[in-house]
Amino acid sequence: MVSIQFFLALAAILFCIGLYGVLTRRHLVVVLICIELMLNAVNINLVAFSSIGPFANITGQVFTLFVITVAAAEAAVGLAILIALYRNRASIDAIKQDLLRW
Amino acid sequence: MSPQTVFFIIFSVVILVCAVLVLALNRISHRLVAMAFCFFAIAGMYFLLGAEFIGIIQIMVYVGAISILFIFGMMLTDHRAVGFGPERSQLHKVFSFLGVSTLLGMMLYGILTADLASSSEPFVGSVEAIGLELYGNYVIAFQGVAVLLLAALVGAIVIARKEAE
Repeated sequence: MVSIQFFLALAAILFCIGLYGVLTRRHLVVVLICIELMLNAVNINLVAFSSIGPFANITGQVFTLFVITVAAAEAAVGLAILIALYRNRASIDAIKQDLLRW
Repeated sequence: MSPQTVFFIIFSVVILVCAVLVLALNRISHRLVAMAFCFFAIAGMYFLLGAEFIGIIQIMVYVGAISILFIFGMMLTDHRAVGFGPERSQLHKVFSFLGVSTLLGMMLYGILTADLASSSEPFVGSVEAIGLELYGNYVIAFQGVAVLLLAALVGAIVIARKEAE
């Protein structure tokens, strides 16, 4: 079996790709996609520890289920906000949404 | 090489290439397809780890539901715009890249030097064990998540519908 370090390294790289996308992209749908990528990286970590970790047990998989549920709720609310934003301001460019900026 | 190693390499290459394509492709629809393939490969990774139930849930929720949700979100908003004119300043990108790669370097250093004993055989969690744990130790969290989903559903409808005149 593959050592657990490789799974953790893969998840770290995926997380950093998502983080870079969140920081640099301007299209708000892409920003939401990158947040989903980061959540998936966390899920890989949880399942890897639950399966081949030092104390392998079922808790990691149960927690992954909770993370998936919260991610689904987040995607639904995020896209609803996006649609409302597009209707009111006719743009989903992240830079132009500066109404609350001081 | 054992078959697990071969599959691990295949899935990791697909995951990382698709994640980079999400950032690199031009059209937003192509990015969504890359995202769906990335989630699919992650589901394969769960199967590799012996977590079949989580893998199936990943395919149903992420590849099935969230991808479709994103496609609708894309179609209802600004999908024709390929770019938004001038990009973010180069300085911003350089600083983001430096910060993220520093974080990645520190995490990789921590992971690769950590002394983690990994068992050779994966622990296979049956659906029965997940259900017993979910309705036993975590029943309050389960109910809380149910309420959260309901609130998110109602909230999404309220936010996305047209304002009454």
